[in-house]
Amino acid sequence: MTNGFVAMAWAIAAKDLAIEWRTKTALVSSLVFAILVLAILYFARDATAVSSFEMAPGVLWVTFTFAGMLGLNRAFLLEMENRALDGMRLTKATPAAIFFGKMIGNLVFVGFVELVSLPLFILFYDVPIWTRLPILVAVMIMATLAFVSVGTLLSAMVVRTRFSEVMLPVLLLPFLVPPVVSAVQLTWRVLADRPLAEMTGWLSLLGAFDVVFFLLSLLLFEAIIVE
Amino acid sequence: MMPVDASVVATDVAWRVGYRWIIKDISLQVTAGEVALLVGGNGSGKTSLLRVLAGLNKASRGQVSRHGGVGFVAHHSMLYDALTGRENLMFVTRLGRGRDPARVDELLQQMGLTAAATQRLATYSRGMTQRLAIARALLDEPGVLLLDEPLSGLDENAAGIVADVIQRHRDAGHAIIIATHQLIELVDRATVVGFLVSGRLAAWEPIDGRDASGIMHRYRELAADD
Amino acid sequence: MTRRDKALRTARLGTFVTSAALVGVALVYVRALMFTPIERFQGPAQKIYYVHVPVAWSALLAFLVTGVLSVLYLFLKDRKLDLLSASSAEVGVALSVAMLTTGPIWGKPVWGTWWTWDARLTSTLFLFLLFIGYLVLRGALTDFDMRARYSAVLGVLALGLVPFIHMTVYWFRTLHPAPVVLKPDGPSLPGVMLVTLLLSVLTFTVLYVGFLMQRYAAAVLEDVREEEAAHGLP
Repeated sequence: MTNGFVAMAWAIAAKDLAIEWRTKTALVSSLVFAILVLAILYFARDATAVSSFEMAPGVLWVTFTFAGMLGLNRAFLLEMENRALDGMRLTKATPAAIFFGKMIGNLVFVGFVELVSLPLFILFYDVPIWTRLPILVAVMIMATLAFVSVGTLLSAMVVRTRFSEVMLPVLLLPFLVPPVVSAVQLTWRVLADRPLAEMTGWLSLLGAFDVVFFLLSLLLFEAIIVE
Repeated sequence: MMPVDASVVATDVAWRVGYRWIIKDISLQVTAGEVALLVGGNGSGKTSLLRVLAGLNKASRGQVSRHGGVGFVAHHSMLYDALTGRENLMFVTRLGRGRDPARVDELLQQMGLTAAATQRLATYSRGMTQRLAIARALLDEPGVLLLDEPLSGLDENAAGIVADVIQRHRDAGHAIIIATHQLIELVDRATVVGFLVSGRLAAWEPIDGRDASGIMHRYRELAADD
Repeated sequence: MTRRDKALRTARLGTFVTSAALVGVALVYVRALMFTPIERFQGPAQKIYYVHVPVAWSALLAFLVTGVLSVLYLFLKDRKLDLLSASSAEVGVALSVAMLTTGPIWGKPVWGTWWTWDARLTSTLFLFLLFIGYLVLRGALTDFDMRARYSAVLGVLALGLVPFIHMTVYWFRTLHPAPVVLKPDGPSLPGVMLVTLLLSVLTFTVLYVGFLMQRYAAAVLEDVREEEAAHGLP
């Protein structure tokens, strides 16, 4: 009996996370990077003219985006070191299972970085949002899903090129415009304690983006990993 | 439970990169109990042929059919440096027919890696990595074994282990293809030999009791004709 | 007829089409400058409209062609589709440069600012950057099958991205002149200006086709040379 789709995807994700946990290179780098960005952007303003509160939504998403990107590159570089991706292709794991596995691994990685930097963000930028946290977390999950779907596909692509570290941001950032702008708009409304009715537009845009790009990435992944 | 009808058959196979044909017009058949040696110089297309036979590279022309599942030992180990020997094998198991730790331990023991099983691959020597890569290929009990330079970097002891493994799988009815420069160690175990010259199969013939120097002589003859 | 001969014929035809379009551009401009009235509110600066809008149209057309050919490539795996789609992307990038330079020249006197984060401007900027990324990616891949597959994947993704980017920046805010031609209740542009604009759009579309034919012919010739070089090897 061959293992099922979910079991295989989970095995791949668990393997990625075990390796990451053991080496911690990307994880620690991403966290330190996130904290640095949060701190530097605090000073990147005229304190008498712009309050840190007004800047906060943008800062949060710039931080998440750039810190997350550090992790994405790592996911497929790992598969290239001893051509381990070939090894996976020789098993019974389908391209879809491989995509799912890598994506779940990335999701956990980026989610972890976000969860650690979120309290720091609340602390640094003095945004008292503890009561509205659930809706902010929901926004984070939706935006991260968008980021990681396209990111997983594109990182599988760029590891085969020269200069993959430079190539990933160039290709990925245009795709992050809709999710990141939506997330910033939503975060701004959450922080200002606006009613939910003012958020539905951006929420549905974000939701639609999630669905479309998750499916596209899943379908296109096979064309990336065959040789 | 050995698949008796294990075989790999290539019909008019060709593979190219860009407009360059790396291998061309390759037809061959290796069936249960046969061990084929692939002999050829650097760049003759041995590795590409094995990758096409394994299904890692899609043939640009022609067909490959495989029966009995394929185990592949490539030039790269296809393993993760940060995982231990045992974890590497367990991972592959999970992507296959379920998880059977007994099979993993049995293979680790066969390859003489039991003591090193809980060490990370990064600490392994070249020979240990190669043996683990072979164990990896054998995990799913494949009927077809494709080995790319299986003895490279191995000392006498490790080479002996690998040669025994090949012998045992041949006797058990596997179809085996080995691309190698190390004829002396392997020629006794082989039944057929194929000569690759500039991406073409210049000859495909029985070993017929020839030794390593006999095979090399024949190779030079064929290469000179090219 | 060999591939080389066909490509050379396409190149010649492309040169002819391009020349004809360039003559057309000159004629449209004579009409725009001398025989079309000056717009009441924007003054003479509005004349650049007759370049900016058509050039923007042909740039977007070029990217649309790349996207559609990318989808087709993934199904048909025909090498010609890949070369054509890459050629279209390159022409699109060139036309985008024209669009992104004429825009500010028009914007300065009319809006009083060189740049504004208006919806269409921003969308086209991102689209432009995305297709530069597309060309950079192609440059970084050496095996042509892989290059074709990967750039087709990116082309398909880009096709999916356009509506999202547009909606995002549109919701963010917009002050671009609202569409004046393609409106449900009919064009709101005075007749003479409309004719001039449509003639210009037509001319620039022909110009795009001419460029595309020439670029495609060059791509095929490059490909033929690569093929010959490969066969020359032992």
